[in-house]
Amino acid sequence: MELTRARLRDLRKMLDSREISAVELCGEYLKKIELTDKELLSYITVTKETAIKDAENAQKKIDAGQASMLTGIPLAIKDNICTDGIKTTCASKMLGNFVPPYNATVIEKLNEQGYVLLGKTSMDEFAMGGSTQTSAFAKTKNPYDLERVPGGSSGGSAAAVAASLAPAALGSDTGGSIRQPASFCGVTGLKPTYGRVSRYGLVAFASSLDQIGPIANDAYDCAILLNAISGADRHDATSARKDVPDFTADIDKPIAGMKIALPKEFYSDAIDDCVKEAVLNAAKELEKQGAVLINCSIPGLKYAIPAYYLIACAEAASNLSRFDGIKFGFRGEGRTFNDLIIDSRNKGFGEEVKRRILLGNYALSSGYYDAYYKKALALKQEIIKEYSDIFEQCDAVLTPTAPTPAYKIGEQDNDPVKMYTADICTVTVNIAGLPGISTTCGYSESGLPIGMSVIGKRFDEQSVLRIAYAWEQNFKTAAPKI
Amino acid sequence: MAVDMKTIEHLCGLSKLSYDEKGMEKVMGEMSDIIGLMDEIKGFDLTYDDTKDKNEIRFNETREDIPEKSFDTEKLLQNAENTDSCYVVPKVVE
Repeated sequence: MELTRARLRDLRKMLDSREISAVELCGEYLKKIELTDKELLSYITVTKETAIKDAENAQKKIDAGQASMLTGIPLAIKDNICTDGIKTTCASKMLGNFVPPYNATVIEKLNEQGYVLLGKTSMDEFAMGGSTQTSAFAKTKNPYDLERVPGGSSGGSAAAVAASLAPAALGSDTGGSIRQPASFCGVTGLKPTYGRVSRYGLVAFASSLDQIGPIANDAYDCAILLNAISGADRHDATSARKDVPDFTADIDKPIAGMKIALPKEFYSDAIDDCVKEAVLNAAKELEKQGAVLINCSIPGLKYAIPAYYLIACAEAASNLSRFDGIKFGFRGEGRTFNDLIIDSRNKGFGEEVKRRILLGNYALSSGYYDAYYKKALALKQEIIKEYSDIFEQCDAVLTPTAPTPAYKIGEQDNDPVKMYTADICTVTVNIAGLPGISTTCGYSESGLPIGMSVIGKRFDEQSVLRIAYAWEQNFKTAAPKI
Repeated sequence: MAVDMKTIEHLCGLSKLSYDEKGMEKVMGEMSDIIGLMDEIKGFDLTYDDTKDKNEIRFNETREDIPEKSFDTEKLLQNAENTDSCYVVPKVVE
């Protein structure tokens, strides 16, 4: 069976028409993972046995005429989303043997539909990074060029979808962790509005910024997954008590008349020429479809990187203080209680995680709190205001997803500042709690995918999905050769 | 801004982390570069006003208090080391 870039809606039709059984479909993906993933390293755990059982149960539902949209559909899940009885490592030695005693809400929702879990995908340790090279277990490669990074932190999910080792996946996005790897791997990734999807069971990095979202082969499949995982949750007080529309309903409506803003700061010299060219060409194509392009400005972008890292690391320092080696997680050695905790954390955490904890505690510590953390919160208010002003006149904002296409493995390893500044195109979306989707808009001379991001108003995922889908109808993607 | 050894030691204390001498030198250099990047925010001239936060999500909406079965103790202890139906830690009194 040809699985290359299979769409969820096509798989649904095949399952419903009995062209293929859920067990056969699951088997095809497992076979491909076994053949390909030794090189790509997109999965940390492949759940072969439970996947086949899940598929058998799904087939019973299909046979009984009780199939939902995702019944029997195999999916990959980022390894920071808790799965009852299945290892959830966060790609960290700290949680190397952690088996959650419960499911995240998104997993419960997928289970209700009878999805099939193929496995848990690799990521940067505790979602801290943009390359998946800080993973303690599987340093995923880019399917378009195995010498390059797949992006991150949801690099395993993006690479698995790009290489057709899963038809779609879930990732999480704190500062671009769904959109940037989607861009590097030539797939589509959606970061929903903050509060749209429950974070219960997502191992926390920065609680005011984290969101779970889909990575798939196109915007339509992202909409299908968003339909499945959205909604208020009594286990998450920050999940929004808002009605969830059918995100696929108006996705194919023409975009004529929609106003799309192009903030000049996102097209500066810091962005590679090939990226700028591809995104601006896409903007012209959207204009041809009837969209109205409007030039605008987001001056706050100048300070977005420090604002983001100060807020994210402050929250991370607090969230990660729970890892002490006592109740769960890696346990070190020590004669005293304090020695035991320090040794557990020293040996359990990788270097990038430790740096971010130090930075977070620096920003929160006495004497620095007002100068750094509160200043970052002021900037957050300013960025929210700047986006609100734009959205008074526009329906969406169009930007590059990353300043460059995928870079070589090792290129940014010893330069945290370079690594942090590479997040410039994505972090404001998390700071302002907006929805944003990245879809492929071109390829570099060497064939590497280039992504563009469509950003929308809070809880207006429908507009960003519609614009991305309209673009995708006239753009031919090139699957990787792996 | 250059970060000195004393600051790193203080941060390590707050973070429950430690480095050997070589690691300390390395992290001191990295943190100096990172804090140099963070210092750019000082050029932004506005102060935070928490009354201007517009949250569409009302955090004071508490859920209904419905009694339900809690987690199974054995299941919760499956991730702990040295379990004897409870968490076992070294001597706390030093």
